[in-house]
Amino acid sequence: MDIFGGLLNGFAIALTGTNILFAFLGALIGTAVGVLPGLGPAATIALLLPITYVISSPVTAIIMMAGIYYGSMYGGSTTSILLNLPGEAASVVTCIDGYQMAKKGRAGAALGISAIGSFIAGTVAVIGLTFFAPPLAEFALDFGPPEYFALTTLGLLLAVTLSGGSIVKGLIVLLVGLILAMVGLDPISGKIRFTFGSIVLQGGFDFVTLAMGVFGLGEILYNLESTLKTEIVTTKIGKVFPTLRDWADSRWAIFRGSVIGFFIGIIPGGGAVISSLASYAIEKKYSKHPEEFGQGVIQGVAGPESANNAASSSSFIPLLTLGIPGNAAIAMIFAALMIQGITPGPFLVAEHPDLFWGVIASMYIGNAMLLVLNLPLVGLWVQMLRVPYGILAPIIVLFTTVGVYSVQNQVFDIYSMLFFAALGYGMRKLDFDPAPLPLAFVLGPMVERSLRQSLLISGGDLTIFITRPISGTLVAILTFLVVGQTLFFIKRRIRGKKGSAR
Amino acid sequence: MLYAWRTLKLGSIHMPDAGFLPFLCGAGLAVLGVVWILILQWTEEKESEGHPEKRLWRRPALSLLLMLIYAWAIETFGYITSTLVFMVAWQKVIEKEKWFKTALISVVGTIAMYALFVYLLKVPIPQELFLR
Repeated sequence: MDIFGGLLNGFAIALTGTNILFAFLGALIGTAVGVLPGLGPAATIALLLPITYVISSPVTAIIMMAGIYYGSMYGGSTTSILLNLPGEAASVVTCIDGYQMAKKGRAGAALGISAIGSFIAGTVAVIGLTFFAPPLAEFALDFGPPEYFALTTLGLLLAVTLSGGSIVKGLIVLLVGLILAMVGLDPISGKIRFTFGSIVLQGGFDFVTLAMGVFGLGEILYNLESTLKTEIVTTKIGKVFPTLRDWADSRWAIFRGSVIGFFIGIIPGGGAVISSLASYAIEKKYSKHPEEFGQGVIQGVAGPESANNAASSSSFIPLLTLGIPGNAAIAMIFAALMIQGITPGPFLVAEHPDLFWGVIASMYIGNAMLLVLNLPLVGLWVQMLRVPYGILAPIIVLFTTVGVYSVQNQVFDIYSMLFFAALGYGMRKLDFDPAPLPLAFVLGPMVERSLRQSLLISGGDLTIFITRPISGTLVAILTFLVVGQTLFFIKRRIRGKKGSAR
Repeated sequence: MLYAWRTLKLGSIHMPDAGFLPFLCGAGLAVLGVVWILILQWTEEKESEGHPEKRLWRRPALSLLLMLIYAWAIETFGYITSTLVFMVAWQKVIEKEKWFKTALISVVGTIAMYALFVYLLKVPIPQELFLR
């Protein structure tokens, strides 16, 4: 099936009544989640994972999950602009100029340009996804165990290094994730590992309990440390449609943001947060008046908001073509696919063309829906911010508890979710970024299988990873990354010591 | 690492067994743990200048305890009873709300969740103790 034929087929699937409804629900829930501070897209998709058991069609389930993910990117800007409080991490940078614009009475223009920029960037990224994903999937058909081992290891290390936090802590989280994935049956020999005599653990930890615990409840517990009070600085939003001047000022920022976001989104570990930061830095650098940034410049809103939306769409590329989730939210979608009995990877396009093209087509529709949801309904989203956290938090707890219980009807799953919630809270408390944990958990079996199969094929010869062209290139990038990061770390330490000695 | 060493077969590099990767991960964790402790000691002086935490963990710890009790109660007493009690306990212990607001939020929350799970999502939930 060629690209256009596939896309037409995808539209035929995405435009059915049920799929339109679920794309709308996803976009709606995503926007609501993006608006509400203290609940990110990864946590929400984690909370809604049990629902995918109820939805019989995998295409419909993934269409909704995808809608939540890119919808949250749209919604995140609302709180950043009106409250100086990012609804999710990728909107942190929007606070800088968005909030200043709101203070100057230009909240409407900021909200409008971020919605329009998001729409344009989201559509550009989906067009990129349409044309980029099928050839990449075809290329990935040549991958054997060494290539997969090199790719998954590179993806995991990139997720750690690009997260911006401490690399040592990131690596610790990564290894804990890998070990948690090993609980249960060994994928090759079938031996039982780390169950400590428990029969329930023989099937391993369920991803839903891990995701809901670490991201859903872990985040709730951490937010309970402080009382989240939402005070809306501006009640006057004004005209949400930008003027011609606003458009002229921000069109190139939107274009650059779309391109930056698209490429950063493809890199495992890249994602929306880094792309928005990169876009802001580039806009400031190329601006004729960089000194105005931070005082309410429209490019400072348009660029990052476009970038984070483009990245959220393009981060589907490694998932749908290589079977590698690049960030925590995409790892949740990976799990949703697995729940539906579908293994993401290069065979997905050939084996499940309906899902592949249906999800891509739904993104075009979802982006248009989001534009309609965000521009005229801004006032409604602002009202939603008035729901107190004291009501929201226990409702989420109830939702997760029954959600997790409903999967297998056993209380053990609730206990293991609470164990992961404590782990997630502890990680946040000790400043460990939990993002690499679900990635390592999801990719753990693939890492182990590909490593052991590679060693079996080569008879224990480690050069198998460098003598094959694709894995050799990936190992070279991996080595460059590790050496580069180590040198950077040592240099920073020495400079820090010299600085404190003075 | 010790668990992998003692209970699982590591195999060899030619034929790695079930304990191979667990052992490598355990060894990696041990090394990274040492590096982390060293880094902590390195930055100790800076950290000690920070502000003392004012029992920030109290509300999260209490809510985790409530969730544990709720998990146990849901099968013992049934969904509606345990949910109602959990909501009341949350509003009184965690949020320190007044009785009227507590009752309102708890009753409405319990009914809304019951309607969502039972009628909309058709999820099987534990039956009430007095109805068994």
